[in-house]
Amino acid sequence: MQFILGIDIGGTFTDAFATDEQARVVSAKAPSTPDDYARGVIDAIDELATRLQLSTADLLRNTSYICHGTTASLNSLVTGTAAKVGFMTTCGHGDSIVIMNGEGRYAGLGPEQIQDFTRTNKPPPLVRKRLVKEIDERIDYKGAEILPLNEEVTRSAVKELIDEGVAAIAVSLLWSFRNPSHENRIRDLIHEIAPEMYVSLSSEVCPRIREYPRSVTTIMNGQVGPALRHYLRSLEAELKQRSFGGVLLIMQGSGGTISAETAPRQAISTIGSVLVGGVVGAVNLGESLDHKNIISTDMGGTTFLVGLVVDGKPVTANTTVINQYTLNLPMVRVAAIGSGGGAIAWIDQGGNLKVGPRSAGAAPGPVCYDAGGTEPTITDADLVLGILNPDFFLGGRKKLRRDLSEKAIREKIAGPLKMSVEDAAATIYSIANAQASDLVRKSVVSAGYDPRDFALYSFGGAGPVHCAGYSADLGVATVVVPLGSTAAAFSAFGLAASNVGLAAEVSRPQNFPISAEVVNATFDELETRLRADLDAQRIPFSRVTMAREIDIRYTLQLAEVSTPVKAGKLSESDVHGITEGFEELYTKLYGKGTGYREAGIQFITYRVFAVGYLPFKPTLPELPKAKNSLKSAIKGTRRAFLDVVAGWNETSVYDYEKLAFGHELEGPAIVEAPTTTVAIPPRAGATVDRLGNLVIHFG
Amino acid sequence: MAVTIPGSEIFAYKGNTGEAVHAKASKYLNLHTVSATGADQVDPLTFEVIRHRLWMATEEMGDAIKRMSGSIVVTDANDFNFALMDEVGDLVQIGPYNAGLAIALDRAVKWTLENRADNPGIEEGDMFLCNDPWVGGGMHQNDVAVYGPLFWEGKLFGWTSASSHQLDLGGVAPGSWTPRARNVFWESLPTPPVKIVRGYRLQRDVEDVYLRRSRIPRLVALDLRAQIGANNFAHEQLKTLIRKYGPDMVKAVMKRMLDDTESRVRAKLRAIPDGNWHAVSYQEEAREGDRGLYKIVLNLIKKDDHLTFDFRGTDPQVEGLINCTHSTLHAGILWSTLPALCGDIPWAAGGLLRCFDIISEEGTLNNCTFPAGISKASVASGWTTANAVQECLSKMMIAHPEHKKSAMSVCTGTWSLAVLSGIDQYQKPFVTMLMDPMAGGMGARTDGDGVDTGGLPGIVMGRAPDVEMVEFMNPLLYLWRREEADSGGPGKFRGGMSASMCIVPHNTETPMSLVISGSGKAVNMNVGLHGGYPGNSQVDITLRDSNLPELIRRGIIPASLDEISGQREIQPSEKESYLNPTDVHYLYWQGAGGYGDPILRDPAMVRRDLIELRISTEAAHAIYGVVLDPKFEVDHKRTGERRAKIRADRKAKARQVPAEVVKSVKSAPGEHDVQWNENMVESDADGRRILKCNHCGHAICTRGENYLEHLAMIEGAPREAGPQIFAEPWSYIDTKVVFRQFCCPGCHTAFLTQVVPENFTTRYDLDSAA
Repeated sequence: MQFILGIDIGGTFTDAFATDEQARVVSAKAPSTPDDYARGVIDAIDELATRLQLSTADLLRNTSYICHGTTASLNSLVTGTAAKVGFMTTCGHGDSIVIMNGEGRYAGLGPEQIQDFTRTNKPPPLVRKRLVKEIDERIDYKGAEILPLNEEVTRSAVKELIDEGVAAIAVSLLWSFRNPSHENRIRDLIHEIAPEMYVSLSSEVCPRIREYPRSVTTIMNGQVGPALRHYLRSLEAELKQRSFGGVLLIMQGSGGTISAETAPRQAISTIGSVLVGGVVGAVNLGESLDHKNIISTDMGGTTFLVGLVVDGKPVTANTTVINQYTLNLPMVRVAAIGSGGGAIAWIDQGGNLKVGPRSAGAAPGPVCYDAGGTEPTITDADLVLGILNPDFFLGGRKKLRRDLSEKAIREKIAGPLKMSVEDAAATIYSIANAQASDLVRKSVVSAGYDPRDFALYSFGGAGPVHCAGYSADLGVATVVVPLGSTAAAFSAFGLAASNVGLAAEVSRPQNFPISAEVVNATFDELETRLRADLDAQRIPFSRVTMAREIDIRYTLQLAEVSTPVKAGKLSESDVHGITEGFEELYTKLYGKGTGYREAGIQFITYRVFAVGYLPFKPTLPELPKAKNSLKSAIKGTRRAFLDVVAGWNETSVYDYEKLAFGHELEGPAIVEAPTTTVAIPPRAGATVDRLGNLVIHFG
Repeated sequence: MAVTIPGSEIFAYKGNTGEAVHAKASKYLNLHTVSATGADQVDPLTFEVIRHRLWMATEEMGDAIKRMSGSIVVTDANDFNFALMDEVGDLVQIGPYNAGLAIALDRAVKWTLENRADNPGIEEGDMFLCNDPWVGGGMHQNDVAVYGPLFWEGKLFGWTSASSHQLDLGGVAPGSWTPRARNVFWESLPTPPVKIVRGYRLQRDVEDVYLRRSRIPRLVALDLRAQIGANNFAHEQLKTLIRKYGPDMVKAVMKRMLDDTESRVRAKLRAIPDGNWHAVSYQEEAREGDRGLYKIVLNLIKKDDHLTFDFRGTDPQVEGLINCTHSTLHAGILWSTLPALCGDIPWAAGGLLRCFDIISEEGTLNNCTFPAGISKASVASGWTTANAVQECLSKMMIAHPEHKKSAMSVCTGTWSLAVLSGIDQYQKPFVTMLMDPMAGGMGARTDGDGVDTGGLPGIVMGRAPDVEMVEFMNPLLYLWRREEADSGGPGKFRGGMSASMCIVPHNTETPMSLVISGSGKAVNMNVGLHGGYPGNSQVDITLRDSNLPELIRRGIIPASLDEISGQREIQPSEKESYLNPTDVHYLYWQGAGGYGDPILRDPAMVRRDLIELRISTEAAHAIYGVVLDPKFEVDHKRTGERRAKIRADRKAKARQVPAEVVKSVKSAPGEHDVQWNENMVESDADGRRILKCNHCGHAICTRGENYLEHLAMIEGAPREAGPQIFAEPWSYIDTKVVFRQFCCPGCHTAFLTQVVPENFTTRYDLDSAA
């Protein structure tokens, strides 16, 4: 018997999911332990073992892989508790990380914040001036050495940094991706003085043109690296002590995993894995449901997140923003707005009703939590509208106070707008749905796709309450609420089923025409490096795939289009074909007639993604065909508002636990599950599929 | 006096109301309208849902144009914008990029409706192109607007527009700004609205007319496609919305967005006390070889819920390139007004426009007539107008306890232009503008420092490119790009720092052309507020025949100009120059002005600035009056002594002032007190309204009097304003420049600190009219 475990460390809970070859699945939950996250992980594994009626040692002895995602790295960056890092860069350019190309004042902020121009600020500096060392050396755009590395200056800089007590040294020199020799030499010099020092080199972390994001990525890698190295060493020791002999894998922001052994070197790639869990869960559930194109929507307490899966793979972006700093990092592209269940409804100075982006969060939370909140939220509106059951929220674990919600909506919204409380709640509900719908539509369309080619998955506590509302106008093919065995720990399920994913890239900016020789040599170099990296994972993969792309642009454009490139040795005409592929993609993204080949074409960055497939995939248990009648699953009825057109209706309420494969529900209906509530409006219906998911359809 | 060319009158457009435009255009066109009551009756749900979607559509338009553009000015520096307008061209939504590029779009559309509806007609699938700043659409000829009508069931429903700065559109100098220009005929040809797309088809002949003038036609063509593509993109989104909600409902929401912005701006204005505020912003050198100094004068009158921008007193238009048209004046006003007044109000600029009027005399610097030279308008008289507006609006907002948080001293006061052209390292011709000065200093605020290298005032999302991208594209090597200590104007809250850069030609054998243009070298444009000091002087220096190659051979990469030998050329404000392969060029652009007297700055913040190399020890001592002990901690005792000495020095130097108007002033806040700003409170005393010092209670004068005459005034050499003022004004202009400071006669806290021409008459705020 072999198990696979998935463990997702969230801000509040550590979720765990286990599955074996017989499609047995269990999930468990333990409080997260921010002082030492490993303890929460072990607690969650203990809980899994208990549910499987095994000892922890027996479970771990029979576990092949543990895949684990963590917010720890990201949290340390956001809360400023990251390691003290020294930064070495080319003389004259030490200020690049404080100038931040000027964009640091607004990068990553929402439109409301950006528009409030006079109140915008840059984030605190990544590295204090005292810890920034400018080194005499210079490489030019061709990779030619203009000025040799001054080793004397380098050594004394290293000594000064060590005296300052840095935990890591980040090195990012101009044009190091064209010629890494100076960076490599600096690492040697550092290790001569301090053999154990964690060194982060920009030519290894992200060998991509544009020094500002490259330096930021390299520094942040240094900030999270030592802590991750320490944490993984101790977790591995703890697991080993409990008889674990398998492979510990860490989820990356790109949606693929990496072995714990090699993760610390590329520590920065593990940030963002917390956002990715849902999308990866969607990929894996999609395999069971035969959905290749999926819009993954996750509506939690504070945010509404949208990710895309196309052709079975998460759609990634090559840059990301953390704390207003831009990073060169391939990451699953997730769009977010402050429209979670805790988003606050308010009236602006113009007397217009707004919902979000400010959130009541988990504390005090919605007014109905009776924990001190006074501003009405989306969840309060859901309660007033009869969609949520005050006695069965999260399976009855939390009692809600409808009277408080009504009072808050009356005082803050309905009174000033001269509406009834119910109408005000209905308006909040509908605005929240419209905002979510706009974000989904924008995410899909701006990536060059059509929503009609997608299935939409909805999860997170508040997602299923709203998904019918925000999906109706999108024209998506189908809407799935994952409610089967995966519901309780959807992200952890996603992790458990994930393969190893590695990427290698390098910038070789050049004007087209570019000879096949150059392109072949560059891909050879990247693929050789990736094969070595895959070997270092020490996993007997069932198979390995590689996918190539080149970031291409018309001369001078800022945004490159990542253009797929076929495998194998390329001929001159193949290389020409790449530019045709680029122009096709460009047209798809920006419309007919927008390309202009005469402006010239440039190849900027070459990238290869490798996927190492784990030898076995979890299968999900199938439900037997329903034997009971649909009627027997009805708990009762209540008056509820599920849709603007249909208004209020007496609505059947179903107990999810009594629903079974094949049941077909007609709207208006409400399904109460232990983890969430599903609203099925009039003119919509839902069926329970063989895995226990609710599949909603319209009209 | 300005002479106007007969036949140019039709292009001298100052914008008409929606009603007037409608009346003219509806003779030839079926315009889609809704009644005013329709707009009032939109329910809150529909309003918010459609408003949100319109926002998304304009946002997507920005994303699209940015990704498609081929110009580093657009893509790496965000020098572009886009807008959504109603059927008569009123701006319903503008994007957050270069506000100046979107604001005059309404005029281009209105002019087009008035003058093109008949011939060649405005039809479905058409788009127009315009770069005529007399008509509107942009601030100077480099700003090109491409805009298209959206038709629904045969009626013109509204307009979308995308505009961006083009690197070169001809004229006698690369980059299309020539410092030699005496009038517009030296510059890029202004193109009044022409139909560039007809029935969804790009008109090859019209495109060629447009491209033929440029030194880089291929890039301009790529950008043109990006602009057309962005409009198409927005039209698709709008059509989807109209299909779902119907044209009347969507239009009603658009109208209500205008009303909503108007009523919120008015409410904000009503809350602020009525008053007058003054500002003067200078530019030197109208063209190459000129040694003049030119001013734009503003009197802002705020009464009830209305603003009047009165520019009378502004200098006449000049023979040179620094003038701007009325459209650019209008854009300059909004450039500052949108961020200052509308940070928390949607940018339906059409609604904001209803809240103010402009008084300006034709034939002046910022209201020039054809054929005045305007190629530098955006960053010359347009920006200077924005500086004056920024200063006045901030002083006005500071009079309100809540809104003062949106006030900001003047940011980087001008652009530091360097356009390079020649043969690049790939043996191809190139033209480029250095966009690094986008990382300018932002103004100090009433509760905190300005953002260092944070951007430029009107370009909400401006951006400087990465050094590597510039070196990849151009035959240049950067010796450095770094923040400069002391560049932020000293103050209780410091102005944001600027930066400097130093470049050398690399991998090129041929000399390149270098066009230099940038003011603020002799007289500071980045003024401080309420006692705050101006930011640094701008400077450009070229070292000819430098020994850099030799230094590099010896393994030395210099960290300052002093380490390089060569013939030093201090560049004037306007110059067409060149760079030889062995030359070195240095640019140091402007930081922002400070807020409040620097001797009021928290010594801990001064210490932190010293540690992070944001100020020099000289400034800490001389200007901030802070002394650190050998352990680098604040020495509070000696700091107190040093600051007392600064006050005593001011007292010793100041002229005599009249005695206090009343002897007994209550120090406790009175019921009817008005806190006008950091330094001055209006209060009741002896049965009259007086102005007193907010710090020591000294009674200055009766309200209504010229309080400046009752303040202690000091005058001295410009360098007394601190080490950031290093200019030698005589290298640029003939006028003598002085440091001038007005202080409380009681405690000698600085109320106003200026670097101005000697003959400058400082006007007092609150009561004095123009």
